[in-house]
Amino acid sequence: MASPSLFSFFLLPILLSLSPTLSTNSEGNALHSLRSRLSDPTNILQSWDPTLVNPCTWFHVTCDSNNHVVRLDLANSNISGSLGPELGELKHLQYLELYRNNFGGKIPMELGNLKNLISMDLYANRFEGKIPKSFAKLKSLRFLRLNDNKLTGSIPRELTTLSNLKVFDVSNNDLCGTIPVDGPFGSFPMESYENNRLSGPELKGLVPYDFGC
Amino acid sequence: MSSIYICHFLLFFSVLCAAFSVNFGDDTTDSYWLLRTKSEFVDPVGVLDNWSPRTSLCTWYGVTCSDDQTHVMGLNLSGSGLSGAISPEFSRLTSLQTFDLSSNFLSGLIPPELGQLQNLRELLLYSNSLSSNVPAEIGLLKNLQVLRIGDNMLTGQVNANVGNLTELRVLGLAYCQLNGSIPAEIGNLKHLQSLDLQKNSLSGLIPQEISGCIELQNFAASNNRLEGRIPASIGKLESLQILNLANNSLSGSIPIELGFLSNLKYLNLAGNRLNGEIPSELNQLVQLERLDLSKNSLSGTINIVNTHLKNIEVLVLSDNSLTGSTPRDLCIPNSSLHQLFLARNNLSGNFPLGLLNCSWLQELDLSDNNFVGVLPSGLDKLENLTDLLLNNNSFSGTIPLEIGNMSNLMTFYLFGNMITGRSIPVEIGKLQRLSVLYLYDNQISGTIPRELTNCSSLTAIDFFGNHLKGSIPATIGKLKNLVFLLLRQNELSGSIPPSLGYCTKLQNLVLADNRLSGTLPPTFRFLSELFLITLYNNSFEGPLPESISLLKNLSIINFSHNRFSGSVFPLSGSNSLSRLDLTNNSFSGPIPSELAMSRNLTRLRLAYNFLNGPIPPELGKLTELNFLDLSFNNFTGELAPELSNCRKLGHLLLKNNRFSGTVPPWLGSLRELGELDLSYNIFNGTVPTELGNCSRLLKLSLDSNYLSGDIPPELGNLNSLNVLNLQRNNLSGSIPLTFQQCKKLYELRLSQNLLNGSIPPGLGTLSELQVILDLSENLLSGEIPWSLGNVVKLERLNLSFNQLTGEIPQSLGKLSSLHRLNLSNNHLHGQLPPTFSGFPLSSFLGNEKLCGPPLIPCSESKGQERKWLSNTAVAWIIVAIVFTSTMICLVLIYIMLRIWCTWRKISISSSDNEDLGNNRGEEKWDFEDEVRNCDDWNMNTMALVPSQDKQIFAFSCSK
Repeated sequence: MASPSLFSFFLLPILLSLSPTLSTNSEGNALHSLRSRLSDPTNILQSWDPTLVNPCTWFHVTCDSNNHVVRLDLANSNISGSLGPELGELKHLQYLELYRNNFGGKIPMELGNLKNLISMDLYANRFEGKIPKSFAKLKSLRFLRLNDNKLTGSIPRELTTLSNLKVFDVSNNDLCGTIPVDGPFGSFPMESYENNRLSGPELKGLVPYDFGC
Repeated sequence: MSSIYICHFLLFFSVLCAAFSVNFGDDTTDSYWLLRTKSEFVDPVGVLDNWSPRTSLCTWYGVTCSDDQTHVMGLNLSGSGLSGAISPEFSRLTSLQTFDLSSNFLSGLIPPELGQLQNLRELLLYSNSLSSNVPAEIGLLKNLQVLRIGDNMLTGQVNANVGNLTELRVLGLAYCQLNGSIPAEIGNLKHLQSLDLQKNSLSGLIPQEISGCIELQNFAASNNRLEGRIPASIGKLESLQILNLANNSLSGSIPIELGFLSNLKYLNLAGNRLNGEIPSELNQLVQLERLDLSKNSLSGTINIVNTHLKNIEVLVLSDNSLTGSTPRDLCIPNSSLHQLFLARNNLSGNFPLGLLNCSWLQELDLSDNNFVGVLPSGLDKLENLTDLLLNNNSFSGTIPLEIGNMSNLMTFYLFGNMITGRSIPVEIGKLQRLSVLYLYDNQISGTIPRELTNCSSLTAIDFFGNHLKGSIPATIGKLKNLVFLLLRQNELSGSIPPSLGYCTKLQNLVLADNRLSGTLPPTFRFLSELFLITLYNNSFEGPLPESISLLKNLSIINFSHNRFSGSVFPLSGSNSLSRLDLTNNSFSGPIPSELAMSRNLTRLRLAYNFLNGPIPPELGKLTELNFLDLSFNNFTGELAPELSNCRKLGHLLLKNNRFSGTVPPWLGSLRELGELDLSYNIFNGTVPTELGNCSRLLKLSLDSNYLSGDIPPELGNLNSLNVLNLQRNNLSGSIPLTFQQCKKLYELRLSQNLLNGSIPPGLGTLSELQVILDLSENLLSGEIPWSLGNVVKLERLNLSFNQLTGEIPQSLGKLSSLHRLNLSNNHLHGQLPPTFSGFPLSSFLGNEKLCGPPLIPCSESKGQERKWLSNTAVAWIIVAIVFTSTMICLVLIYIMLRIWCTWRKISISSSDNEDLGNNRGEEKWDFEDEVRNCDDWNMNTMALVPSQDKQIFAFSCSK
C-alpha cells in the first residue's frame, strides 16, 4: 500500500528532481520517447541525452537557427521498433529520413501534423497498415517514398490535394484499389505503383476507387 | 560371550567418556547438551558467558527451566548478536517447548534433527541468514503452534507435510527465496490464524483449499509470482482481517465473494493483472480500513461508497482504467478517510465536491485524469490536507483564494492544467508549512505575489511555462529553505533581486526564457550550494561578479543568448563544472586555462562571443570533453597538439575564427568525432590523409580556408559521412574515385576550388545524395557522366562554371526530385532533356550550343535545315558509313595479308598474334578518325537512345 510515508519521503524527491526536465523541450522529449520505442543495435542514438536543453546537438538530428528540429536522419541503421504519435510534435520537421531499417507497425496518423515536411522517406522498412489519410495535411510535402514495405489498403484519395508532391513511390507493398489520376498523380510514372495489388488507373464513376480491397 | 564383552566394553567406554566430559556435566542432562551447542555459536557480545557448569542451568542466559529445575522448557536467544550455526544437538533438549533464535546472524542449515523435539510448540528462527531447504522433518513436530522461520535465505519448495502440523496457529515463511506453489495441504491447518508468505518466488495458483483454514485472520502472500484467479473460496475465511495479495500476477476479476469477509480490515490487491469492475459487494466490508486496488487494469466507475465503508481510512485506486466521475457519497461527513489516491485513471467530470466532506483527509491525489472545471472555493474545508495533487488534468479557472486557509498544506501540485487567472493569490502567503509548490505548465498571468515569500517552509517552486509578468519579488531572500527555484519560460522582467543571494540552500536556479535584465548581483557569492544555474534567453548584461568564482559546487551553467560581457574567468572557480554554455554573449578576452581544473567537463560552448587568443593547451587535460564549440569568435593561432588528448570529443566546432597553420593530422586520432567544422578560418596546407581514420564522422566541413593540394582518397573511408563540405579552398587535382564509397552522403560540396579532370562516374552510385551536389566553379572537364541520372533523390545539382563538354545525358532527365539545377557556363551542347523545360533559363546560360525548352527550340538553331532529315536519309547515311568502313577493312585485310605473306617469306619465326593485334588497333583508330569527321558523334548514345539521338546526330553533324 502506498503509505503516506513512502509517498512523501520517497516519491516526492524523485518528482521534485524530475520536474525541471519533464515539461520543457517538447521536441527533445518527442525524440526521446521515440528512442525508447526503438532497438538500436549499432548505438547510433547514443548521443541522445534528454537532459540537454534541446536536441540540436544530438547526432542525426539537425535544427534550424531557432533550435527547431528540421531533419531526422536515421537511415541505414538496422533500427527496429515502431513509430509513435509523439513524432507529430516535431512541428518544424522538413526531412524525415528513416529508410532502410527494420521499422515496423503502423505509420502513425500524427505524422500528418508535420506541416512543414518536405520529404518523408520511410522506404525499405516493415511498415504495415494503411497509408494515413492525415498525410493530406502535409501541404509542403514534395517527396513521399513509402516503397518496399508491407502497407495495405488503398491509396487515400485525400492525397490528390498535395499540390507540391513531385515524387510518390509506393511500389512493392500490398496496396489495393485503383491508382488516383487527379492532382499530382497525373504525372507519376507507373514504376511508382509496381508490385502491389493495384488494379490500374481510376475510372471515375465506373468503379469505386477501393474496388477489390 | 562376545556380547558380554561388548557390554563390558561399552560400560567401560561410557564411564571413560563421563570421566573425560566431567567438566561438561552429565551427558544425560540438558546442561551438558546446551554447553555442546554453545560451541557452535560465535558469541561476540558474550551473552552466553554465564553458560557454565559452575552455575545452575536455570540461571543461564535465555533459559527457562521446568519446575523441577532439571529440564530446559524454553530457550530465548533472540537478538543476541550470535553468529555461527545451529547445533543439531539442540534436538537433545527433549523437553523444549519454545525455541527462539530469531534476529541473530546465524547461518548454515536448519538441522533436520530438530524434528525430534516432540514437545516443541514455538520455533522461531526468523531474521537470520539460514540457507538451504526447510527440512521435511519439521513436519514431524505435531505440537507446533508457532513456526516462524522467514527473513532467511531459505530456498526450495514449501513442503506438503507442513499440512501435518495441525496445531499450527502462526506460519511465517516471508522474505525468503522459496519457490514452487503453495501446497494444497495448507488447508488442513484448521487452527491457523496467520499465514505469511510475502516476498518469495512462489508461483502457481492460490489453492482453493485455503478455505480450510477457517480460523485464518491474516493471509499475506504479496510480492510473489502467484497467478490465475483469486479463489472465490477465500470468501469463506470469515475471520480474515488482513488479506494482502499485492504484486503478483493474479488475473481475472475480483471475486464478489470477498464481500463476505465481514471482519476484513485490510485488503491489498495492488500490482496484479486484475480486470473488470470493482465489485460493489466490497461495500459490505464494513470493517475495512485500508483498501488498495492500484496498478491493475480495473475498469468501470468507482462504486466504493463511504456510506457503507464507514471505517475506511486509506483508499488507493490509482493506476487503473477507471472512468466516469467520482461518486457523490465517496465521502460522508466526519468520514475517517485520510488518504485518497485516484491518480492515473480516466476519471472525468468536475472536481468531486463530495470529497469536501472528508474533512480528515490528509492526502488527496487526483493527478493524471481528465477532470475539468474550476477548483471549488470550498476546498479549504479540507483543512487537514497536507498533500494536494491535482496535476495533469484540465482544471481551469483560477486558484481559489481559500487555498490560504489550508494551513497544513505541504505539497501542492497543480502543474499541467489550464489554470488561468490574473495572478497567484496573495493568500497563498499564509501557508507556513508549504514546502513544494508546482504550478508549471498552466496559463497563469500576473505577477508573483510578494506574499509568497512569507511561505518560509518553501523548498521547491516551479512556475515554468506560465505568463507571469513583473519582477521576481525583492523579498525572495526570505525563503531560507529554498532548494529549487524554476521560473523558466515566463514573461518576467527586471533584474534579479540581490536578496536571492540569501537563499543559501539554493541548488537549482532556472530563470531561462524570460525578459530579465541587469547584472548578476554580487550576493550570488553566498549561494555556495548552487549546482545548476540556467539564465539563457534573457537580456542580462555586464561583467560577471568576480566573487562568483567562490561557488565551488557549480556544475551546470547555461548563460547563452544574453549580453554578458567581460571575462569568462569568474566561472572557472569551480572545479566541478560538467557543462558550460555561454553561446551568444559579448564575453571577451581569452579562455581561462583554469577551466581545465574541471576534469569532468563534457560540454564547453563559447560560440558567438568576442573571445580571442589561442586555445589554451591545458584544455587537453579535459579527457571527458565531448562537445567543444568555439565558433564565431576571434580566436587565433594553431591548434595545440595537447587537444589530441581529448579522446572523447564528438563535436569540434571552430568555424568563423582566425585559426591558422595546417589542419593537424592528430585529428585523425579522435575516433569519437562525429562533427568537425573548421570552416571560415585561415588554415593552409593540405587536407591530412589521417582524417580518413575518423570513421564515425558524420559532418566534415573544411570550407572557406586556404587548403591546397589533392583531396586525399582516404576520405573515401568515411563511410558514415552524411555531409562533406570542402568548398572555397584551393584544392587541386581530380575528385577522388573513392568518394563513391561514402554511401551515406546526402550533401557534397566541392565548389570554388581548382579541381580538374572529369566528374567520376562513381558519384552516380551515391544514391542517397539529396540536399545538394555542388561541383561548381572548378576546372572540371569531360562529359557529365550518364550515371548521375541514378541519384534520384537529388534535389539540387550545381555543375556551373566548369569546362564540361558534350551533351547533357538524357538520364539526368529522370532526376524527378531535382528542383534546383545549374549547368551554366560550361561548354555543353545538344538538346536539353524534355523534363528540364521547367527550370529557368539561368540554369543553362553560358553554354552556347544548348537548345530546347526553356532555351531556344533546337529547330531554330544552325542545324535547322538538316534537322528534319527523313528516316530514309538517315538510313542511307548509315548504310554509306557501314559500307565505307567495310571497304576500308577489306582493303586493310588485303594489305595485311600481303605484308604477312612477305614477312613469312623472310622469317617464319614472327609472332602472328601480335601483328594482328597491332593492325586491329590501327583499324579502330581509322574508324574513329572517320567518325570524327562528324564532330562529337557519339556512337554509344545513338545506340542506346535511338529515336531522339537521330535528331542529335543530324544536328551535330551539321556544324
